[in-house]
Amino acid sequence: MKKKKYPFHELFLKKEWSYTTGAVLLSALAMVLVIVAGSAWGVTGPFTLWGGWFFSLFGVDVASSQVFKGIAEYNFWKNMPSMTNLGIVVGAAIAVLLAAQFKFKKIKSWKNVAAAVLGGLFMGIGARLAVGCNIGALFSALPAFSLGGWVFLISIFLGAAVGSQLLKKFFM
Amino acid sequence: MSEDTVGGSIRRSSAIKRQTPQERKRKRAIQIIIGILLLAAYIALCFYVQSVNPKGAFIMIIGLALGYVLQRSRFCFTASLRDPLLTGTTTLTKAVLLAFMLSSLIYAALQMKLTGFGLETLNIGELPGNVKGVGINTALGGFIFGIGAVIAGGCASGTLMRMGEGFLQQWIAIIFFVFGSVIGSAILIPMQSTFLYSGKAIYLPQLLGGWIPALIVQFGVLAGLYLLADWFGKKKSGEL
Repeated sequence: MKKKKYPFHELFLKKEWSYTTGAVLLSALAMVLVIVAGSAWGVTGPFTLWGGWFFSLFGVDVASSQVFKGIAEYNFWKNMPSMTNLGIVVGAAIAVLLAAQFKFKKIKSWKNVAAAVLGGLFMGIGARLAVGCNIGALFSALPAFSLGGWVFLISIFLGAAVGSQLLKKFFM
Repeated sequence: MSEDTVGGSIRRSSAIKRQTPQERKRKRAIQIIIGILLLAAYIALCFYVQSVNPKGAFIMIIGLALGYVLQRSRFCFTASLRDPLLTGTTTLTKAVLLAFMLSSLIYAALQMKLTGFGLETLNIGELPGNVKGVGINTALGGFIFGIGAVIAGGCASGTLMRMGEGFLQQWIAIIFFVFGSVIGSAILIPMQSTFLYSGKAIYLPQLLGGWIPALIVQFGVLAGLYLLADWFGKKKSGEL
């Protein structure tokens, strides 16, 4: 009788997890952050300051600008969202590499470029106006019994409805 | 599932090239080795961060876990809003609602400890979670963000996750996400002195007159949305 090898790679590194597993683990990790880091999980908070770094390369005086408030004291390694953002990129890369599924997904058409440019700009503007993104203004706000989280949920849903129509018409 | 419909139309379209089993095994081994090396490099970086910030390494590891979980479970907030509209599937929508319910439960416990059950010691500023200002700017920002997230094929967390997965489209998106943030910050400054902006937080237990009504409303609405999503998904799939 042939013995079967224990399928460690298939079971633990390759098999996709259910959405429910994801929901439970993400909630747990977000809670660990709020308890340990002292502030709730966010993503886009430091983005404006990253933009400030970029402009400062071209000699723009960002330190005295109101737009980039706090850039002088900003330290990537003392800023929770900056560190978790880096972790998300690297963590996702490690996950696909260990599953042996990594592949550069090239851009197929100019439509994809236009979608990335416009979508990115819209997300950036929206997140700053609402003072948070789908994480900071929604996932860390709605479960914290903040009315702002509910307002963001309704409005992001309406935006997604408009975005879906635009996607179908122009970007697909 | 949901990824293959819109955002990730690139993902599975590449034709499978004919490879010998040995070639495939070698390629797999290379990927796994790079993965382990990347993990080792990240842990080394954590040691450096630890010397700058005592909580740094722990936060870095939680961030790594967030990315790992997001990728493995293909969890995406944008898709949870988009899929019901575009394909009629609500599996992810239900998972997001479940995450909201679970988090609400823990936030309630953490907050109650501070506020007291009768809100005797309420201080909105020190509550865990983002109990922040809500105004027209919140609704306007959320709406614009929603449009952008669907077009770009990923929200904030989804964009970062797909960058790690190797989607070049998201590497472009993040650059303009950062530019957009600068524009948004510049717009917000003059906006703050108008009626469009409000920095006043509205806390549900305070608004509704106590923890009991707040819990009933919060979990009632989330459960109602869950039922609606389940019904809608079954109806669209032809089960009903």
